[in-house]
Amino acid sequence: MTAIQIPAPASAGWFAQTGLVLGRWLRVTGRQVWGVAASLFQPVVWILLFGQVYAALGALPAFGDGYITYLVPGILMMTVLYAGAWAGSGYLEDIRTGVMDQLLSSPVRPSAIVVGQFLQLLLVNLVQAALVLGIGALGGAHYPGGIGGFLLALAAATLLAGAFCGASIAVALRTRSQVALIGISQLVVLPVTFLSTTMMPAALQPDWVRAVASWNPMTWAVELGRGGLASTLDPGLAWAQAGGLAAIAALALWWAIASLGAYRRSL
Amino acid sequence: MSAAIQAVELVKTYPGGRGRPPVHALDGLSFEVAAGTVFGMLGPNGAGKSTTTKLLTTLAVPSAGTAAVAGRDIVREPAAVRARIGHVSQGSAADPVLTARENLRLAGRLRGMRPTEARQRADSLLEEFGLAEAANRAAGKHSGGMRRRLDVAVALMHRPQVLFLDEPTTGLDPESRSAMWTEIARLAADGGLTVVLTTHYLEEADRLADRLMIVDHGRKVVEGTPAELKAAAGARSLDEVYAHYAGRRFDTEGAAA
Repeated sequence: MTAIQIPAPASAGWFAQTGLVLGRWLRVTGRQVWGVAASLFQPVVWILLFGQVYAALGALPAFGDGYITYLVPGILMMTVLYAGAWAGSGYLEDIRTGVMDQLLSSPVRPSAIVVGQFLQLLLVNLVQAALVLGIGALGGAHYPGGIGGFLLALAAATLLAGAFCGASIAVALRTRSQVALIGISQLVVLPVTFLSTTMMPAALQPDWVRAVASWNPMTWAVELGRGGLASTLDPGLAWAQAGGLAAIAALALWWAIASLGAYRRSL
Repeated sequence: MSAAIQAVELVKTYPGGRGRPPVHALDGLSFEVAAGTVFGMLGPNGAGKSTTTKLLTTLAVPSAGTAAVAGRDIVREPAAVRARIGHVSQGSAADPVLTARENLRLAGRLRGMRPTEARQRADSLLEEFGLAEAANRAAGKHSGGMRRRLDVAVALMHRPQVLFLDEPTTGLDPESRSAMWTEIARLAADGGLTVVLTTHYLEEADRLADRLMIVDHGRKVVEGTPAELKAAAGARSLDEVYAHYAGRRFDTEGAAA
């Protein structure tokens, strides 16, 4: 018996595959805009509530230009964390429906499957982040840093989103459970938020919190955004924080891609 | 006659976990499928049918043994195998939010088809599978039968040489099942396409398969044409054949009773 030998059919290149995967998820997002809109409800409530309840804090010199202006970069990064917690659920849905099996038995590269969806998450995050800053401005926050500060805050939000989304994808692919994914996210989000300068400047924190916060990537993202928007950045520290965030985001993306490989090996 | 699939002594062992012994899903399974034929795989749940499909579609890697699909080695040339096969798994191939047409085009583009080529192929498959009217509706809003036909159409976008159908009619109402049987028979009759059909329905296997293999405990129990199997077992129906070889009845849920 001779086996059939037919020339290899064409297969899309990595960039084309990644672009197609990105296009798929953007279309899905476009048909579920309510999801993006609903995720903005939380920051609106935070800005209104925190801004009102803690308004008196603004009188302290540590807060500079009022509590709202201090708080909005923190709310921005909190929105990134809460939205990022769901990042892996697209894969859980694909695994449940069978679309993942279809993708993995097609010539699509696993890294293209992950990177395509990762880019969609970052793009959606970018839109949400810009809207949160807009809502913050409506709530009374001031951004003396201008357009440059605005872009820097968005860049910091994107790096933090990369780190958190990558980790969320990895956890989803390794646990394959929505409950575990949300449970772990909830477990992480609150401590990460409170052990940072999201809501309270370092000067007002106990020593041990301040020590932890200075190594917390959430602090790095918040301080980059805050410093950019207020135009008070220390360039040396800012580069170190941005570099740290970029390294963690890259590591998280690598972990996500490796987790898809681990998922395949478990089949 | 040339072979579309040659499987030699396939073994797949899964770790048992938490001190339990490892699970031998496949225990040295060998078989060949001639190009252009429909090959049916029968067996109770846990017999190794799904594992065989996973290995041959390159979703999983065998613990031992080799196999070639469309002339390509599943371990050494998985990308070449993937480019030549279509796979209708027990789940769905379609994103429920995207329309039937979008799902088809995406599947074609991901496999390297040009936009115009993918558009034309999608349109002709929509027509062929009676999905033209539902082409612009989200796949998640299709009926069970339509959704299954879309899954098959998605798997055929890139004109594969071998099509794996894993329980294609499970969960369908009798009318949709019979429509699907007509589609599968048509695909097989068109020539060129080799179909590997995993099923729980003996009637389905009897009607569609040129050759049948009964699998149990990860091994081949018997193989032959439906007529040969019936003659050898002195049986009138495949149910009796199955009872003869597997030592138990075969119910429609596939569990050994």
